[in-house]
Amino acid sequence: MLPLLTLHFLAAAVAPVLVRYLHRGTFPVLALVPAGGFVWLLVHGRPDGTDLEHHSWIGTLGLDVSLALDPLRWTLSLLVTGIGALVLVYCTSYFRAGDPGLWRFSAVFVAFAGAMLGLVLSDNLLLLYVFWELTTVLSYLLVGHNPERSANRRAAMTALLVTTFGGLAMLVGFILLGEHAGTYSAAALVADPPASGPLVTVAIMLVLVGAVSKSALVPFHFWLPGAMAAPTPVSAYLHAAAMVKAGIFLVALLAPAYADTPGWRAVLVSLGLLTMMVGGLRALRQYDAKLLLAYGTVSQLGFLMTLVGLGTRSAALAGLALVLGHALFKATLFMVVGVVDRSTGTRDIRQLSGLHRRMPVLMVVAVIGAASMAGVPPLLGFLSKEAAFAAAEDLGHDLGWTVAGPLTLAGLTLGSILTVAYAARFVWGVFGPAPGVDPCSIKRPSYWLVAAPAVLAVASVVLGLLGGPLTELLAPHADVFPAGAHEPELTLWHGVTVPLMLSVLVLVLGVALFVARHPVAAVQHAVVDRVPMPDAERGYQLVLRGVDRLAIELTGRTQRGSLPFYLGSILVVVAAVPGTALLLAWEPTDVRVADSPAQVVVAVVMAIAAVMTVRSRRRLRAVLLAGITGYGTALLFDLHGAPDLALTQVLVETFVLVTFVLVLRRLPQHFSTRPFTLSRWVRVAIGVMSGVLVAGLAYVASGARVADPISDGFAKPAKEYGGGSNIVNVTLVDIRAWDTLGELSVLVVAATGIASLIFLITDRATLPTTRKPGHDSAWLRNPSLPPERRSIVFEVVTRLIFHAVIVFSVYLALVGHELPGGGFAGGLVAGLALMLRYLAGGRRELDAAAPIDAGVVLGVGLALAAASGLLPTLLGGGVLQSAIVDVHIPVLGTLHLVTSVFFDLGVYLVVVGLALDVLRSLGGGIDKDIETDHDDAQDDEREEVRP
Amino acid sequence: MIDQVVLLPVIMPLLGAGLCLVLGRSAAAQRLVSVIVLALVVAVAGFLLHRADTVGPQSVDVGGWPAGIGISLVADRLSALLLLVSAVVTLCVLLYSLGQGVAEYGRATPLSVFHPTFLVLSAGVSNAFLSADLFNLFVGFEILLVSSYVLITLGGTDARVRAGTIYIVVSLLSSVLFLVAIACVYAACGTVNFAELALRMPDVALPVQHVLQLLLLSVFAIKAAVFPMSAWLPDSYPTAPAPVTAVFAGLLTKVGVYAIIRTQTLIFPDSGMNDLLMWAAILTMLIGILGAVAQSDIKRLLSFTLVSHIGYMLLGVAVGTELGLTGSIFYVAHHITVQTTLFLVAGLIEYRSGTTSLDKLGGLARAAPVLAVMFFVPAMNLAGIPPLSGFLGKLALVQATADLSGFLPALAIGVAIATSLLTLWAVAKAWNRAFWQPAPEESVDRDHTDSLHGHGRPAAGDLRTSDIVEAVEDTRLPRSMAVPTLLLVVVGLALTVLAGPLFALTERAAAETLDRSPYVETVLGSER
Repeated sequence: MLPLLTLHFLAAAVAPVLVRYLHRGTFPVLALVPAGGFVWLLVHGRPDGTDLEHHSWIGTLGLDVSLALDPLRWTLSLLVTGIGALVLVYCTSYFRAGDPGLWRFSAVFVAFAGAMLGLVLSDNLLLLYVFWELTTVLSYLLVGHNPERSANRRAAMTALLVTTFGGLAMLVGFILLGEHAGTYSAAALVADPPASGPLVTVAIMLVLVGAVSKSALVPFHFWLPGAMAAPTPVSAYLHAAAMVKAGIFLVALLAPAYADTPGWRAVLVSLGLLTMMVGGLRALRQYDAKLLLAYGTVSQLGFLMTLVGLGTRSAALAGLALVLGHALFKATLFMVVGVVDRSTGTRDIRQLSGLHRRMPVLMVVAVIGAASMAGVPPLLGFLSKEAAFAAAEDLGHDLGWTVAGPLTLAGLTLGSILTVAYAARFVWGVFGPAPGVDPCSIKRPSYWLVAAPAVLAVASVVLGLLGGPLTELLAPHADVFPAGAHEPELTLWHGVTVPLMLSVLVLVLGVALFVARHPVAAVQHAVVDRVPMPDAERGYQLVLRGVDRLAIELTGRTQRGSLPFYLGSILVVVAAVPGTALLLAWEPTDVRVADSPAQVVVAVVMAIAAVMTVRSRRRLRAVLLAGITGYGTALLFDLHGAPDLALTQVLVETFVLVTFVLVLRRLPQHFSTRPFTLSRWVRVAIGVMSGVLVAGLAYVASGARVADPISDGFAKPAKEYGGGSNIVNVTLVDIRAWDTLGELSVLVVAATGIASLIFLITDRATLPTTRKPGHDSAWLRNPSLPPERRSIVFEVVTRLIFHAVIVFSVYLALVGHELPGGGFAGGLVAGLALMLRYLAGGRRELDAAAPIDAGVVLGVGLALAAASGLLPTLLGGGVLQSAIVDVHIPVLGTLHLVTSVFFDLGVYLVVVGLALDVLRSLGGGIDKDIETDHDDAQDDEREEVRP
Repeated sequence: MIDQVVLLPVIMPLLGAGLCLVLGRSAAAQRLVSVIVLALVVAVAGFLLHRADTVGPQSVDVGGWPAGIGISLVADRLSALLLLVSAVVTLCVLLYSLGQGVAEYGRATPLSVFHPTFLVLSAGVSNAFLSADLFNLFVGFEILLVSSYVLITLGGTDARVRAGTIYIVVSLLSSVLFLVAIACVYAACGTVNFAELALRMPDVALPVQHVLQLLLLSVFAIKAAVFPMSAWLPDSYPTAPAPVTAVFAGLLTKVGVYAIIRTQTLIFPDSGMNDLLMWAAILTMLIGILGAVAQSDIKRLLSFTLVSHIGYMLLGVAVGTELGLTGSIFYVAHHITVQTTLFLVAGLIEYRSGTTSLDKLGGLARAAPVLAVMFFVPAMNLAGIPPLSGFLGKLALVQATADLSGFLPALAIGVAIATSLLTLWAVAKAWNRAFWQPAPEESVDRDHTDSLHGHGRPAAGDLRTSDIVEAVEDTRLPRSMAVPTLLLVVVGLALTVLAGPLFALTERAAAETLDRSPYVETVLGSER
């Protein structure tokens, strides 16, 4: 069975290619695939039990490709493949040559046929769901085949959403059932159903939601008439053999084990009968022949669902026979409408006139189809309807339905009367004369177009005459149900029984209803117009609109586009969630407040500076105050005995401060005025709360210490393994060199990123400007500042100390392993030296001091650090592993060289590159920007003066 | 020696980034370096996954410092799998960006920052997946965040700087909170090594454990964009260039999800926070998808589905069973692929039509059938249409949730299903409008004005939301962009076709993660 399915999807894959060469001729080729399946099924013959075929796919989820063939599946597969093949043949002449959408249509249609076949062959319920949803999505594409019309797009969307909704409910049902029973095999679940209980009932109800929505029962029926926006071949297939039959199939599959689940029969029979009425009544009001048939399908689906849902032996047989009968006549009728549509250009029965003369063959075909639908002997429709009446008659005995049984029978009868009426309306409307309309002129359809429905009509006749063999063929499906009052039989002649009398009654009343169609229509319209009817479609629209509105309002609330709001909500969550936990964990601990009074003093100063920072109105003041907290941190490090960290912190703070000031030149002096509104008080509260929270966290976490910190163990290995007595530096470049490498890349990226962003704004590159040094300079090579901003003392001092500072920075980088310093501190010192040059002489001076591209420095630094990490692997060590080498240099003595120094040099270069980048972009770039503005302003002034 | 391979996914891109900067003048050399490096990362990730699955977790102590003192990196099945998926996606996005010419974006900058930054981003993502050290995880986050700051403001247009501001400030706040959390963890446990934390955390008083756990969860929830800390994402992602948004959407939030999975399972295994997580998952799914429904721009819509589907991944973690975790891990792998693909397709749409606004798009199904297929398949995948991987992930998650009983799991199932349906609605609306609905009048008008007054493309130029397309007159899809996208579509389909073995692998990964001992023993050595 798997090759059969695979073949369908392969055919779908090659279809677009075939269309390129064969155009419409692709369809007969594609038809070979389902036709082959049909033949295979016939040759294989009806299985007596259940043939299983298993291929594992995802064992973890219980989702396996397990296929089954039993009498029910065999029958449906024949329909799916047989009608599929005929519809494909029909497509050949239905589509116009050169239709640009053919490649898409042919592929999607064959895939759809494959999905439907897969659905009826699936044993694994999850696999069944897979195919189920595939039919949904593919039908979405088919319904929207001509998407230019907005109604088509809407119809496609409705079909998609409604059936997916049901499908998802069904999936949950399957999962509940499967997880409860421990298997997803339908065969196993039917043979050995889990003990009934609330869980199973809920699961089954969810499954029924899926079946009911797929098979377009009330209240989900509205999607099906809309879906006839699809090209007619699709409608023929979708209404007759595919898609809507899926729900019927599922119910028929599960009924043997689950029909006794509380609510099963009540839901299915009541919805089925209601649907039969609603569909029939609405069909009687339609003027579009295709729409009339679509409502007819709704009605028939109600009929079918009632039968398969009843779960008695005779109803099951009648149901299956009706599935067969319905497929044959409905496909016939849709194809007839397609032919009429193609030949006359309309489907409106008020416009169609006189076709009985012009298309007699087609009319015969249509009459057979309609008669089978109406249940006229000796057609298949009659056999199944008789069987259905017989099954309903026995309900009192089979299920003990003394009241509901006769009601069901009455309902079926009433529905059948409507069926006869709309069948007559269809034939008369399409082929009969229309009052006041001249006979239509037609374009003669090709024989192929008529052949397909004709074949199906013949089948309706032949099978109608073969009641006995048919009973034998279908009975095994029904035999799994307990025997009822009578053994069911499909036959033309039961004798004079209740079903026969009902059949006669139905025909008579149906024809009467048709004859009296004008007064009946008037009454219907009057009722529909006056009495407010519950309208499922309007409900659906209301739900959609409601969700839409909810979505917009909710998103408007949460998605403010305001940064303070987002920050505030994050902080509030942090305060609410970990904060609550903190309150619950609160316990007095023996944490020391401070080691020395000096710490307290520094902390208090920092706190005051922090508060003043946020209260500050001037930007410069805020920056300087923030700097105090930074220097305070350095002091705390020093008090704690970490001169290295303190040094680095001071350097960083200085560098940042200067950078800030450089940027502030381009910003307004004051922050924007902020009135003390409620929202500001809220922000103040959030800020205070966050501060308190962090303090509380520090208190509680420190008090909860359970183990000595690992850093206690750093000292010895740092010396022995890391080869340095400066633990901080060994930590940075060796123990946690990996972190440092990462942070280096952060620096590199930040530097280049800022530079490129500033460049885009100021057109100022990180490249040095190449210009010949000026000769007017006394001390500095190339001062670019206007004379009034130059300071001779500053220039002299800078000139004198620059090289010394650079040398010192290299020294710091190299001794870092033993003494305070390191590549980071060294790089910062060098950066500060460059900053001096810049501040003293402006941007050109900076270029003269470091005539090199900052990006290259950064790149070399990063590459050096990474490569020095990789190098040890070549020597047999690990990445970033240090080797200690003592090099004896004559005269100078011994050089204690740890290979991590190369790593440190990489750090040094990156920091220098960063400094260069920042100075060039934020310093020089903004300088140039200001100069340009200045020039512009002067130009403007001149302009103003002139007139 | 072989253990050193674990470091390669981080160190190779960094070396490459350095080289790219040195080679700044030569765009061709930069491209070559980037492509080679990322291709090597894919190979190494594949190798690591193979080793992790057949031999066991691969760990390395950097610089030979024993675990606990130094930094350890570990590639177990979970890490290696996510590493591989993200490496493949990153490579595809790089190829796409080469085609688009983002690297030589707009005006010719003297220093092309795109390649080095992109490589550093990839290093950061790899580091975050591999790190077995809380502080180093922070460093990994910093690497990828700082790179993302640069990438999100690429080109420096006003809209990008504005969006970038929100993104950068929120990320900085989360980084500060992360530091606070690390400090607290270190204060309580005296270590930041994951394996040691796993051993020491049970000694900490339970209420304090909860504080630490919730603190870390809050931090990662910001990174992963979990409601109510998700609002920054849809406001910042969509404005960036398509490949940047694609790689962000694919990878960055998933790193947050990975961090949640890692810390929850390894350090706080029996936490009692699962109900809270499940509520977060439920709200994230629902609020996110409602946001998507309300959008009329494809990129924004996708950003909201991104938020929403983070909820699915969280749901599996909240369920906490092996199946739940299996589903989460699988879903992460699926979502990285599909979300990236869709953003790349959105980029193609923008390239072709100059906009991603649904109000202005139309008729693409006829005009660009290949593009239509490339959108439809991943869109259906995102909506969880079977048999695609999105469905399989959801199936596992719903199955896992159904194995629990009670009100909350039932609610979670309901919301997960509703989210699935609403996702379908959202993407189908986008399909209906952009691909099916005929293009709006405006284009007709435009032709009209052209012929009447003779001045070229009046309105269209102004509508373009990205400068890249300005230079492009030819609206056919360039192969160099379409092929990488197609490649990702195929990768997405491969996740479906190979779902059997892949699920077996994720199941083993989940089992290993829940077992904890393989991880701990690999890092600390079995004698402890």
